[in-house]
Amino acid sequence: MIDYVLAAAALLTTPLLLTAIGGLINRLGGIVNLGLEAMMLTGAYVALAMSSATQSWLVALLAALAAGGAVGLLFSLAVTRLEANEIVAGVGLNVATAGLIGFILKDYYHSSGTIRLPDVVMLPRIVLPGVAQIPIAGAILSGKDPLTWLSWALVPITAFVLSRTRAGLRLRAAGAAREAATALGLRPLAIRDASTIVAGALAGLAGAQLSIGVVGVFSVGMSGGRAFIALAAFYFGRNRPGLTAVGAALFGLFDAIQIYLQGRGVAPELMQMLPYIVVLVVLTAIGVGERKRRLLQGV
Amino acid sequence: MSAAATAGVVRSPRRDWTALVDALAPFAVALIVGAILLAATGRNPFDVYGLMAREGFGGAGRLEATLTAATPILFTAIATAVSFRAGIFNVGVEGVFYLGGMAGAVVGFTLTSFPSPLLIVVELAAGALIGGLWLAAPALLRARLQVDEVVSTLMLNFIAANLTLYLVNGPFLAPGSANSATPMIVEAGWLPRIAPPSTLTLGFVIALILLALYALWDRLTPLGFEARLNGLNPRFSRAIGIDAPRLILKVMILSGAIGGLAGSAHALGVTHRFVVGFSPGYGWTGLAVALMGRNSAVGMLIGAIVFGALDSAGTTVQLFSDIPLEIVDVLQGVVTIFAVVRFGRLRGRRSAR
Amino acid sequence: MANPAVRIGARGVTRRFGAVLANDAIDFSAVPGAIRGVVGGNGAGKTTLMRILQGLEQPDEGAVVLNDEPVTLADPADAFARGVGMVHQEFMLVDELTLLENLILGREPVGPGGVIDRDKALDEARRLALSAGVELDWGLKVSEAPVHVRQIVEILRLLYRGADVLILDEPTAVLAPQQVRDLLNLLRRLRDEGRTILFISHKLDEVLTVCDAITVLRAGKVVASTTPAEANAGRLAELMVGETVDFPRRVPQTRAVEAPLLSLRGVKALDSRGVERLAGIDLDLRPGEVVGIAGVSGSGQDEIVAVTTGLRRAAAGRVTIAGKDATSLSVAARRAAGLGYISADRAHEGLCLAESIAANVVAGRHRARPFARGGLLRPRTIREHARKALDRFGVIYRDCGDAARNLSGGNQQRVVIARELDRQPRALIAAQPTRGVDIAGAAFIHRQILAFAASGGAVLLVSEELEELLTLADRIVVLHRGAIVGEVAGAERSIGRIGRMMLGEAA
Repeated sequence: MIDYVLAAAALLTTPLLLTAIGGLINRLGGIVNLGLEAMMLTGAYVALAMSSATQSWLVALLAALAAGGAVGLLFSLAVTRLEANEIVAGVGLNVATAGLIGFILKDYYHSSGTIRLPDVVMLPRIVLPGVAQIPIAGAILSGKDPLTWLSWALVPITAFVLSRTRAGLRLRAAGAAREAATALGLRPLAIRDASTIVAGALAGLAGAQLSIGVVGVFSVGMSGGRAFIALAAFYFGRNRPGLTAVGAALFGLFDAIQIYLQGRGVAPELMQMLPYIVVLVVLTAIGVGERKRRLLQGV
Repeated sequence: MSAAATAGVVRSPRRDWTALVDALAPFAVALIVGAILLAATGRNPFDVYGLMAREGFGGAGRLEATLTAATPILFTAIATAVSFRAGIFNVGVEGVFYLGGMAGAVVGFTLTSFPSPLLIVVELAAGALIGGLWLAAPALLRARLQVDEVVSTLMLNFIAANLTLYLVNGPFLAPGSANSATPMIVEAGWLPRIAPPSTLTLGFVIALILLALYALWDRLTPLGFEARLNGLNPRFSRAIGIDAPRLILKVMILSGAIGGLAGSAHALGVTHRFVVGFSPGYGWTGLAVALMGRNSAVGMLIGAIVFGALDSAGTTVQLFSDIPLEIVDVLQGVVTIFAVVRFGRLRGRRSAR
Repeated sequence: MANPAVRIGARGVTRRFGAVLANDAIDFSAVPGAIRGVVGGNGAGKTTLMRILQGLEQPDEGAVVLNDEPVTLADPADAFARGVGMVHQEFMLVDELTLLENLILGREPVGPGGVIDRDKALDEARRLALSAGVELDWGLKVSEAPVHVRQIVEILRLLYRGADVLILDEPTAVLAPQQVRDLLNLLRRLRDEGRTILFISHKLDEVLTVCDAITVLRAGKVVASTTPAEANAGRLAELMVGETVDFPRRVPQTRAVEAPLLSLRGVKALDSRGVERLAGIDLDLRPGEVVGIAGVSGSGQDEIVAVTTGLRRAAAGRVTIAGKDATSLSVAARRAAGLGYISADRAHEGLCLAESIAANVVAGRHRARPFARGGLLRPRTIREHARKALDRFGVIYRDCGDAARNLSGGNQQRVVIARELDRQPRALIAAQPTRGVDIAGAAFIHRQILAFAASGGAVLLVSEELEELLTLADRIVVLHRGAIVGEVAGAERSIGRIGRMMLGEAA
């Protein structure tokens, strides 16, 4: 049972982690991206369609990456160049994108929600001989798709890029202090756009994992609010890749437990509330700490 | 910004037309995007828009359907505008809409012995009460602990959605029902139709009354005045003695109560029980309408009716033609994105600061 | 490169804003390896001149001179490319980044793959710090760094990026005395290495200590170009203000017998970092009295205003308004007790510019009769009342439903005064009441303040303009480092004497 839950949790964490890292990068660049759900859904559809058309999971992934990044760029331009409110624009983008894809499904595939396509090549599962038999570790590590490995590799890579490279430094500067960055000759809006493209691309990959990683079909409700759980993960992680990964893994685990417990007397809905409650608790705890600090200083 | 005329307690006789242009521009963009989609899929956009206009407004029956669809949007727009006025970016109306709907339904199938008018009042009050309490929490978090209200109300939306989902699948699931719905509200607890056989119910009238009260609140009450000052200039509002934490608490409770009322009115007037997918995003649509209408009563009324027309036309257009219903989502989504864009940036870019 | 005679300067620079002549044929020059002080009161034209030297504004006539040549500076980047860098009053640092990251931002030394060469960056940072004679914890986040460290980083960043002309605008306003000494030493070192420094200040002691030459501005003109050897604080103050003789001083009105209308006892205040900004203030304002507060900016004036109005809580002590203990009262309750407040920040605190003029006049009293009745506001009453008040205070407006932002600066300030005096307070706090107001408007505001005092009110007047204090105040309390260091009244009032006290010297 533990193995079953952990194996499921590892798979369920992947889209959350990819999207949360994207959201984190975007947030550091200065944009809270609620439109990640749209980018994830786009990636899911494009990956399935391309996998069917080319019979190559790699091409499918690249297409999902590009499609997610493209939607990200559109969203970013609305926010950075037209000064749209990022929260509302994100919600609007989700509605419009779901509508557009639903429209295509009906108009082109004559399907009212779910499509199966011929010759879809799924993501390969990487079985680790020797590890697969080890309890717990085997369940977590073996039989996972490349995106799962990529998502975990991205955690230290993101941390390194953010803290140690020029790109990371400029991203943080552009997000935190637009005017100061401008004064130093940087172009903060272009940097923000780039961060949204990266976030969109990662969300696109997350979507691909949903459609060609697990089930091999696409449905309009496929993303199912996962981008918002990813959002909760990066609020939980407070701009730190490691802690964000912990949040994503925790929420993935909640999801796996929830699926396992379905029909066993525990309401899944209550489990699904947990990520959001955790975020509220974390924010409240931070607020209490800050308030104590202020009171101590008599301000 | 132009030297815009004010719209407060004391108004300048001058009118500012740029505001109207800004409010209409999102629709223009959405229609263009929709037209591209329709043309690309081999349809004549003008025919489709013409059909939608007829289905939205052509004839008394269609108009009633539109106004019915506009009702929850108008409610949620007002609920959002109350907090936006005070400069509080509250996105939690979607959540209280769910909660209010559930509260109204529970009262309506529980207190079956109550006489009709009393039952309706209790149902609506239950929705308003739960909504007000719910949004008091983020208000306190913001006022006392400086927790960003956007994040807290967003998180609370998901909590509310899942909580009601739990209730409708668990404790309040109708016996023998498979499709995740509560028992029906007794008929005495339904909002009556105002002019049968028209489908328009008392809910629309309540929304209109609320809109009038909002306009009154906005323009003629001390609290509305204080909200406006706090929204426009929080430091000034503090310096002249307005207590911001209390103000925030008041407007958030008000916003939550209206949002909750919206939900219970929807349950009482339309669904007659709480079902899964109770809100297709009314809270968000209302938010977009409030932004587009610049929190003004007239602007929100127009916005709600247009969105309502899209809703009602979309449903029937799909029935009579091969146009997928989703065109409505595309249009609404694009309007929402551009509702908050500054078209001024396109007209004449000012040099960046 | 041969050393030019003039590294940076201005030749006949004139800049007009409407009818106002902000800079009037200004000439000055700074030689390489020297610190040139630029002093002047508010409105003297310092800021405009600095913006022109940075390329933020273009002169209407005349030109900026760099390396003996007249030049046109397109923008700050252009100025920077020519070696001219500015240290801003509000530091342009990124709070979330470390000191080192801020130093190198935009000019990062990188290795392959865009990875920052930390060792190289740190070596360079240490070298700069060493040459400046400071030691810094380069891994510290800016948000955790004290303000003087931020300033040093900002200066070092200019050096890192290759500037050899540094413009510092009121650099010591935020510093404690020891930190001021350190900064001045740093500037001397930089000068000795051949850099040119423009030091803008109205703290005369600092200018006299650190500068090699001083340019004095008044009303947009250069009124003197002198050296510390030739001048002293009193003389500079007189040059800044203008004529030294007889101000139209009012007859002191002190009525010591009457109970004070506003009283501070042992009032202390801390800033957000927990540093003490007010060190136990005792102050009494009696009916009919105008008490001026003088001091170099940042000496505690803002804190006295905030603690008295209730916008900030006192860390210790007692505030009494018209005999009522107001220490723990809210802003609204203090206003109800009889306190009026003219804010120094008209655009953000004094007015709601987006609201109607009428709303601005009644704001704060909107819940009281006759403006509200039965829980509803009464627009017609508000409008009529506002019109009367606006007329009484000579506000020129088109319609009192227009947004306050449509008014000129002087008229906006009159609206503030109309609101605050129309309430008939007992005590009035007037912070920089004539800032950004033309001469006629200032005279009107002065008359209103004096009339309010004559009618038995008490006025606490905070001003950076010594002239204004001398014109209006019965006595002037001088602040230095958050404490009252002296008080002058009656015939003892003189600019030189107050100037010395402001610097912390015994009077």
